[in-house]
Amino acid sequence: MGKLSRLILKRLGLGLITILVVSVLIFFAVELLPGDIAESVLGQGATEETVAAMREQLGLGRPAVVRYFEWLGGAVQGDFGVSLVSGERVSAAISDRFVNTLFLASYAAVIAVPISIILGVFTALYRNTIFDRVANVATLSTISSPEFFLGYILILFLAVRTSMFPAISSLSGSMSFADLLQRTFLPMLTLVLVVTAHMMRMTRAAIINLLASPYIEMARLKGTPPWKVIVKHALPNAWAPIINVVALNLAYLITGVVLVEVVFVYPGIGQLLVDAVAKRDFPVVQACCLIFAATFILLNLAADVGAILTNPRLRHPK
Amino acid sequence: MAIFVILYYSALIGASCLAAYYNKRSAFLLLFSLTLVSFVLGIVGGPSALRTVAIFAGALALAAGTSYAFREFLIQITRPNTARELRTAPLTASFGMFVIFAYTIAGIFAPWIAPHGEAEVIGQAFQPPDQSMILGADQLGRDMFSRIIYGARNSVGLALMATLLAFAMGAFAGLYAAVRGGIFDQILGRIADVIMSIPSLIFALLMLSIFGTGLHVIVIVVAIIYSPRVFRLTRAVAGNIVVMDYIEAAKLRGEGNWYLIRKEILPNATAPLVAEFGLEFCFVFLLIAGLSFLGLGIQPPTADWGSMVRENATLISFGDITPLIPAAAIALLTVAVNFVVDWMLFRSSGLKEQ
Repeated sequence: MGKLSRLILKRLGLGLITILVVSVLIFFAVELLPGDIAESVLGQGATEETVAAMREQLGLGRPAVVRYFEWLGGAVQGDFGVSLVSGERVSAAISDRFVNTLFLASYAAVIAVPISIILGVFTALYRNTIFDRVANVATLSTISSPEFFLGYILILFLAVRTSMFPAISSLSGSMSFADLLQRTFLPMLTLVLVVTAHMMRMTRAAIINLLASPYIEMARLKGTPPWKVIVKHALPNAWAPIINVVALNLAYLITGVVLVEVVFVYPGIGQLLVDAVAKRDFPVVQACCLIFAATFILLNLAADVGAILTNPRLRHPK
Repeated sequence: MAIFVILYYSALIGASCLAAYYNKRSAFLLLFSLTLVSFVLGIVGGPSALRTVAIFAGALALAAGTSYAFREFLIQITRPNTARELRTAPLTASFGMFVIFAYTIAGIFAPWIAPHGEAEVIGQAFQPPDQSMILGADQLGRDMFSRIIYGARNSVGLALMATLLAFAMGAFAGLYAAVRGGIFDQILGRIADVIMSIPSLIFALLMLSIFGTGLHVIVIVVAIIYSPRVFRLTRAVAGNIVVMDYIEAAKLRGEGNWYLIRKEILPNATAPLVAEFGLEFCFVFLLIAGLSFLGLGIQPPTADWGSMVRENATLISFGDITPLIPAAAIALLTVAVNFVVDWMLFRSSGLKEQ
């Protein structure tokens, strides 16, 4: 196990370094602004005094490196500073929305993951049949459509023409869970469609890759029944690619969620980010970007660690 | 209505019989299963469902026919070598080529095709379709159809520019890294890792919030975000070529890095790079469409598909599908490019299964 844990520790360390580098990038990108934050937020018409006052308030007089470590220290404790537009604490604006976004993403994941893995395995088993071809064209079209296209199609058919589900996901704290699931059904479905298509194609490719390997052919040639080939021979080696596919697509959900939230006016962190970008509210933009990037990196990390853990060659060293 | 139903079924059954008589197995299966499906749907949903099925099947048949004719046309006009390659193209690929061709024509000749200017206000806001405006007017009373045609020029043009830049940067860096190797290669690789570890849309939003939404900013930011993908692929492909004997021979002849890249590596790396260009274009196109949908892409009054969807989204709540047409245009082009890329990958690489 020594080799295995060393590998995992190495990967975790690499992930941590990546997050740090990305946080540096996110913080210092704002420093690239022509002039500085105060000047660009207040605009051309601002007097010297207001600009100076704002610089004072943001502590811009101190070197950027010092401010970076203060920002990072705060971020680790969940404090992202003060919004430039509303003057509220960023963490207060983010916390509820972050929970909402997580809810939407996990709702979508819970439904998308089993469906896409089962369908992916089936398309791999029955490849080059009419079922596989239809699935191929369907998933390709889904992947190629922008998320907002799928979202509006669903709104048109399931919310406007038949009014089965609400087109706008307004949430309140007092809703029952069933109500919540119904209110967020359409954004969930949009995400599920996109992610399922990706996940199915990747599962299919991984399984086909596996089925082409010589030891599977050997098992077939010695007369093992097909289900046994899959369950006993293919599956133990298939877990690694499948876990990888799942984690990568959950990471993909992170990006997809931004557009979907905007389409359905869902009160999540993606919507907050888009609003903040339009208003150039840098502390909020930085906070949201850091959260999205960190989640993305963590999920990729989980994909790698999962792949290491389920690799039979590493689990049973010679 | 009854006449339509009778005609529909007799046409289907007649065609199935013909196919069966001439031993066209797949055509017969296709036609007859369509007959059965429409039979079930006709009982459940009545003539209107039948009509939908008929329209859908007709559209599919039309697309297949167009792609077949377009492929034959291409085979006729190209030289024998290319023509032989084209013969292997599946219908999906030739459909993709036809769509790309149509978009190119629409983009280049937009001012002649579009009946009105892209920023020209000619009617009331959301005016319904009439003689002069096929698709009606948008939220400011501009002709929707003309704006969609101009969108082919603006949206696709911008995405194409960004892809070209990303490709030039990524491919050059990848080739150079493969030839140079050593610390230079390592540094570029780590930079690519960092850029790829941030979700592309998030990175783009961060950069656009800082540098504003000028066209050149979008092109450069998007190119930086997607060049690492190209870099990795080029680096991998070129890495396999660099160890070949003929490269060694060229080095011993005393050829410089630039010569190696241009004359020895590039010709052998063209096929995967061309396929990657198509894929890359799809990613870039979707990202830029997403950005303009969020109001951060091409700024008004320039016609752009992403922002057109956003601006006219209110119409959807009245059950109107017009705002979805630009979004469908985006999807159609991406599907088309993907179809062509699929075929190229299948032809050029080890994706041939068994």
